Amino acid sequence: MKASGSRLGGRIAVALVTVAGLYCANAESAGFFNLNTGKVWLTNGAVITDGASGGGINPWATIGGMETRDGINATVHYTYANLPSFTLNSVGLLVGLWDRVELSYAWDTGPTGSTYDTVGLLTDTINPLLQKLQPVLSLLSPVQLGYLGQLSQLGQLGNTGIEPFNTQVVMNVVGLKIRVFGDAIYNSDNLIPQVAIGGFYKWNANKELLHTLGASKRKDFEAYISATKIFFPISTLISATGRYTSANQTGLVGFGGPDGNKRTFRGEFSVAYLLNKQTALGAEYAMHSNNLHDITLGDTNVTGLLNLVAAIPVVKQVAGSTVSNLAGTLSQHENDWKDIFFAYAPNKNLTFVFAYAMLGQIVLAPHNNGVYMSVQANF
Amino acid sequence: MKPIRSGLQAFAIGVLALAATAPALADKEDFPTAKGTTPTIPGIDSDALAKFGGEEGVHKWVEALFYYIMLDNRINWIFERFGNPKRQIELNTQLETMVLGGPAKYQGASMSAAHSDLHITLTQFNAVVEAAYNACERVNTPYHVCNQLIAALAPFERVIVTR
Repeated sequence: MKASGSRLGGRIAVALVTVAGLYCANAESAGFFNLNTGKVWLTNGAVITDGASGGGINPWATIGGMETRDGINATVHYTYANLPSFTLNSVGLLVGLWDRVELSYAWDTGPTGSTYDTVGLLTDTINPLLQKLQPVLSLLSPVQLGYLGQLSQLGQLGNTGIEPFNTQVVMNVVGLKIRVFGDAIYNSDNLIPQVAIGGFYKWNANKELLHTLGASKRKDFEAYISATKIFFPISTLISATGRYTSANQTGLVGFGGPDGNKRTFRGEFSVAYLLNKQTALGAEYAMHSNNLHDITLGDTNVTGLLNLVAAIPVVKQVAGSTVSNLAGTLSQHENDWKDIFFAYAPNKNLTFVFAYAMLGQIVLAPHNNGVYMSVQANF
Repeated sequence: MKPIRSGLQAFAIGVLALAATAPALADKEDFPTAKGTTPTIPGIDSDALAKFGGEEGVHKWVEALFYYIMLDNRINWIFERFGNPKRQIELNTQLETMVLGGPAKYQGASMSAAHSDLHITLTQFNAVVEAAYNACERVNTPYHVCNQLIAALAPFERVIVTR
């Protein structure tokens, strides 16, 4: 599955390059390697991990690449976010066509680090607990004994380490954005923003992980509308996006949850202060879902089972709050994403973004706040 | 979630309303008329001209602007072929002083009349904007002060860029 996913990704990337190349050959003043033309510094935005032009996580109404309506320009990016329990790598290509249409592809991958030591946590906690309960087993009903039986089976998983979870997150994203109307830069005498509509199709390669975490779908689309405008008198850019999606962690953890794949509109907001013509400081906020709660191993809803065991009075007496704490640790609570960023374009062909990302809980591990770095080159 | 969702709906409706009115607002042929300050949103700083160093400071900036324009191979040929740099420096000083809130004594042609036959592209217009920023750095006008002038001149893009 993973292999076919990346093969498809490769094909899409090749197709993007070919299409862009053909248009480039026909366009009068197309900008591949025509390095000193086109947009004013930084007005192409940066490239987000979804592959589109925007801030760090939110798409903007800007069209990527350094060309204006007079040509075609491409951007490649590599982004690395080093978070306490999750490392995200994103590579991608986008092509901006006549400042009107943007095609993009991104490949996001990362190991989820210490997250899946939770299996170890399970066995470490379950086996001593079961021994503690030995003397009082006669007080339990057959149903309650059944729960403990299931629990002891989970305890046997211990020596399989983290393998059952398959810890690598792999997501492919193709994107299309169209600038509908407006000009983010030069309409300083009215409030009309630049407005674009766009969509992503995302597919996840890691079926087992998504089953464990309870996502309802592995592949899905997202649609969005963005409005972006620069206010020169205050040297500030403001952007707002409404994204119609059911994604968990932008789709890195699939789409929807146990209650199905319900898409809703979510708000994403960015503000950037332009420090000088090649530097911007900003902040972003993106609403996220809270679709996912329980962890499932094989056919067993581990979190649910632990909650059932924790509710048995005898277990409470013997083990205190150990079991309910464990159930809490194995519950997912997705947080909204936030970041503050610093973007610097030393010249028109290169942009660096340094950010502090605050992504909250990701696949069980809390407080994923850390450094985000991105290198983006325009051709 | 509910208030947020209805907020987003209002946002979407607002955007669509803007979409409907955008062509009407953006295609006002008579604007900018180059008769006074540009009504930007938000307004430019009232002390923008003073921070630019008054009319003399603007004149220095325009000289630097034309220095960078005439060095830029993407656009210098247009100015060489169709312009008269000495006259343009004089007129630009008048225009820029005026849009920054100074006396309105601009004597040149309207921006649309002056550029209508030149088939200026957005790429060429952007090149002048870059020269403008470089000129600000050359005369040590801070970036956020420079942006007051950029804001005041930005709407001219709609009448200067014709291709």
